[in-house]
Formats: sequence, structure tokens, C-alpha cells
Amino acid sequence: MKLLTALHAEMLKTKRTASFYFTILGAAPVPLIFLLNVLTGGGDVEAVHKGSLNAVFELGMERNGLVFLPLYVILLCTLLPQIEYRNNTWKQVFASPQSKGNVFLAKFLNINRLIMLFLIANLAYLSLVIVLMHFSDPSRNLLSQPFDIKSLLASSAYTYITMLALCTFQFWLGLRFRNFVVPIAIGLTLWIAGMMMSFEFKSDLVGFFPYSLQTFPFITQFHSKLTQVALTSVGYMTLFLLLGFLDFKRRRFTV
Amino acid sequence: MDQQPIILTSGLSYHYAREVQTLDNINLRVERGSIYGFLGPNGSGKTTTLSLLLGLLNNQKGDIQIFGQHLRENREAILGRIGSLIETPSLYAHLTARENLEVYRNTYGVTKARVDEVLEIVGIADTGKKLVKKFSLGMKQRLSIALALLPNPELLILDEPSNGLDPAGIVELRALVKKLNKEHGMTILISSHLLGEIEKMVSHVGIIYKGKMLFQGPLSELHRFQQRGSRLFISTSDNKAACRLLQEYEPAISDEGLSVAFEDMRQVAAINRRLTDNQLEVYLLQPKENDLEQLFIDLTSAHA
Repeated sequence: MKLLTALHAEMLKTKRTASFYFTILGAAPVPLIFLLNVLTGGGDVEAVHKGSLNAVFELGMERNGLVFLPLYVILLCTLLPQIEYRNNTWKQVFASPQSKGNVFLAKFLNINRLIMLFLIANLAYLSLVIVLMHFSDPSRNLLSQPFDIKSLLASSAYTYITMLALCTFQFWLGLRFRNFVVPIAIGLTLWIAGMMMSFEFKSDLVGFFPYSLQTFPFITQFHSKLTQVALTSVGYMTLFLLLGFLDFKRRRFTV
Repeated sequence: MDQQPIILTSGLSYHYAREVQTLDNINLRVERGSIYGFLGPNGSGKTTTLSLLLGLLNNQKGDIQIFGQHLRENREAILGRIGSLIETPSLYAHLTARENLEVYRNTYGVTKARVDEVLEIVGIADTGKKLVKKFSLGMKQRLSIALALLPNPELLILDEPSNGLDPAGIVELRALVKKLNKEHGMTILISSHLLGEIEKMVSHVGIIYKGKMLFQGPLSELHRFQQRGSRLFISTSDNKAACRLLQEYEPAISDEGLSVAFEDMRQVAAINRRLTDNQLEVYLLQPKENDLEQLFIDLTSAHA
């Protein structure tokens, strides 16, 4: 109950901040580019014809999941804790009758709420794109093609779970540094390193690097390891949450 | 007053860096129902003490009891009964005044009506949809006080609450503090670096200097101490003769005249009478009470 109260307070704090619009708009570029590509006869038309309705979702989710979602998570995890630093409100938070554990978890849950909103918004935009594609060229028969919702939900769940390691570490960094540039710089560097490990070096360690795990749902040869990687991500989340909380509890945010 | 003090600290010590002791053996005693003025110059350790009382800093040495409970074991229960304002306003600039209070409303378990009530009390109920970032510093300070009042606390801790307030605002704050104490029975701990600013409202005073408590007790006791250190500046037609006449007052002579210690105004009249009875013309008879700075020096030397 107290955790829900703390979460409610966190949600109120994000009211009128850029985070909500950032979430809604951040999920839009990939579906928009996809739509423009199809309408102008670009490369995606062929993919749509080949793979049907499911292919549109897969393609959209892959492009979002590889680039836009990690960037969004890095920025969100850094900017949300900044609300307290920027407004000098940590002392008021800690002078109120709530445990540090609840404050910490409520902030993490609020970030995850927005990440889920991002994923839902992405799927909603892709659905809209499909409808628009259907009306622009009914001969594609997109709306009457088979739709594998189970696969879509599983893919969304893996996208979210494999992102948790990156998200939690970035959340810790966001709470750790008063200057928001530092966690963003660290996050971007690690993300680029993770992408290079996955696509350039094809390193054996890719399944253990927190900033590489989110690429697994979108690389076909890694699909056999997906469950293992999801568990690794949850393990990292637990570890980073624990370390982050110990650090959060020990740190002096006031005076 | 209740025998049990509302705040009781014993041997409270704290350091930010190992080599600098910020607080040293602070034994604070705030009686229930009192308005306790916590005085000290900037950097003396007031905010550190108040931060320890609110659990914002981890207690390193000593014990803190509030409402008769140990803070370490009962932090949340104790904080639920305290309203606080520590230093600068601690508000969300992108929200309105009402939204800022809404953030904490459920945490303190108070009704929406209480939000309206505290906004009314501090006089910013009509700010509507105006965002806090567009507030003046005085308005922000009022909202911070509203936030402190939100839980209808038994104990109100205000750290330099008059910062940013104009003279009229300071007078209003003084009236508000007195009203909260008298009508709502709140015990109030208020810090300041200006004795003149708070002596009109407090019943008890604690003076901290370089991390050590120099004085603690009722305001009347401080006044007595202050009076003891007061000097009467005198200039007459013959200062040397005046010095001889006032030998029992241990006069100090200077180029402008002489000065003697005095305790009350009756003594001033007696000194004047003695001088004029001895055919000396009195040009200046100026009682000068100890200011806070001098008081700190006196208290420091008294504790040396």
C-alpha cells in the first residue's frame, strides 16, 4: 500500500514533464518512417508483401527495439531522477514518512510504467500504419492476413525483459549523478559498445554484457539463447537494483 | 507544560569530513508546547542539527528522541507527526502549488480539504494554475510552509523560514508561528542567525556556535545573561572624575568617555543621579545591550 502511495506520488511528479510526451513521441519515428517508406514505394514494400501482417509488426519492433528503445531508456532513466536534483527536493522526500526502499522502488516502477507505455504506443502506431497501408493499397489485403498475436506478445515480452539489465544499470547511474550528462555519456558509450559486440565483433561475451542483451530478440541466430538471456537480464536487474539501493541508502542527498 | 520534552538529544556529534567536527555533544531539549528559537551564525551547525532530527543525515554519535521515541527505530512514525522546511524551498517547479501538496497528500494521509486549508493559511490559495517556477521567492517560501503544515504536525521544524520574505512577510510569518503554537498547540523549532528576528516570538532559545551549544533555556534567562553583558556609555564634563565616582561599576575609560556594566534601567538612573549630584554635566548616557555577535563572544568566553 505504501509502495503504491509512493508510486502515485512519483506519477504526479512526472505530470507536465517532457517524459510523457517523450514516451508518446519517441515511439513514433519508426512506424512513421515505415509508413513513408511504403507509401513512397521504398524497400519495405517488398518485405510487407513477403511476410504479411506479422512481418510489419516484426520489422517495426526490430527497428524500434534495436535503436530507439535503448536510447529512450537511457534518456528516461537519467532524466526522471533528475526531477529531484533539479528542484532540490530530495530533502523533502526523505523528511516525509516513507522508507527509502519505497522511494527507490517507486521511482524504478514509474520508469518501467513509461517503458511499457512506449512499447504499447509503438504497437498502436504500427497498427495504425497497417490500417493506413491497407487503405492506400487494398490489393495487399493486409487486414485479412493471418495475425499471430501470441508471437507478437512473446516478442514484446522478450523486448521488455532483455532491456531490464540496461534499464536498471542506467537507473542506478541516473540516481548516482547530479550532473545528467555523465550518466547519458556512460549509457551511450556502453550501448554503442554493446551494439558493436553484437553486430561487429560477434563476441562470445555478448550474452553477458548488459548493454547487448536487448539485441537478442532481433537476431535470428541468437533466438535459441533467448530464454537464457532473458534470465540473465532479470539476474542483472536484481543485482543492479540491490547494489543501486545500497548506494542510494548510503548516499547523502541533502544539505 | 508536559514534563516529557518533545525533542531530546544527548551527546549528538557529527562530522562531514574526519578532520572537521561539525557538531560536538549537542544536548537539545525542546519542551512540548514551546516555540524554540535555534540561534547561531551561518555555518554554526543549525541545519546539520535539524537534518539529523529529520533523519536526513545518518546519526554518527549520540541519541535522538522525538515524542519519547528513538528516531533510529521509529523514523517513519515520527516523521508522520513532523512538518519541516529545511533551508531553501524544496518544490517541484513544473507543478502548481496545489499539485506540489498533492504529491505528499497521500503520504501523510490527509484529505483534499486540508490542502485547501493550508493554502488558505499561508495566503496563496488563489494561485490557481500558476506554476511554481513563476512564483517569487516569498511565494515559494509560503508554499514550503504550507507543505510543512500539511500533516497538521505536532512538531514544526523551520530552518531559516524568513529567507526571501519581505518585511511584511516576516511580520506575517511571526504572527502565523504564534498562532500555530497558541491555537493549534504545535511545538515549533525555528532556526535563525538573527536574535532580533525571532526573539519576539520564541519562548525558549538555544544558541549554537561552531558546533557547540553555548546556551539553552527560556528566553528570559537569555535576556538576563544578555543584560549582564550590557554596557552604559557615558560622557561628562569631567570623565576622570566620573570614573572615580563610578569605581564600583568597574568603568572602562576611552577617548570618547567611559563605559560601565549595568543590569537594569534603575541602575542607569542611579548612575545619572550620582553624576549630576556631584556637579558633573552629563552629555551622553547611552545604554547599549549586547547584540548577538557580542553575546556569542561572551558565551564563548564564558564556556572557554
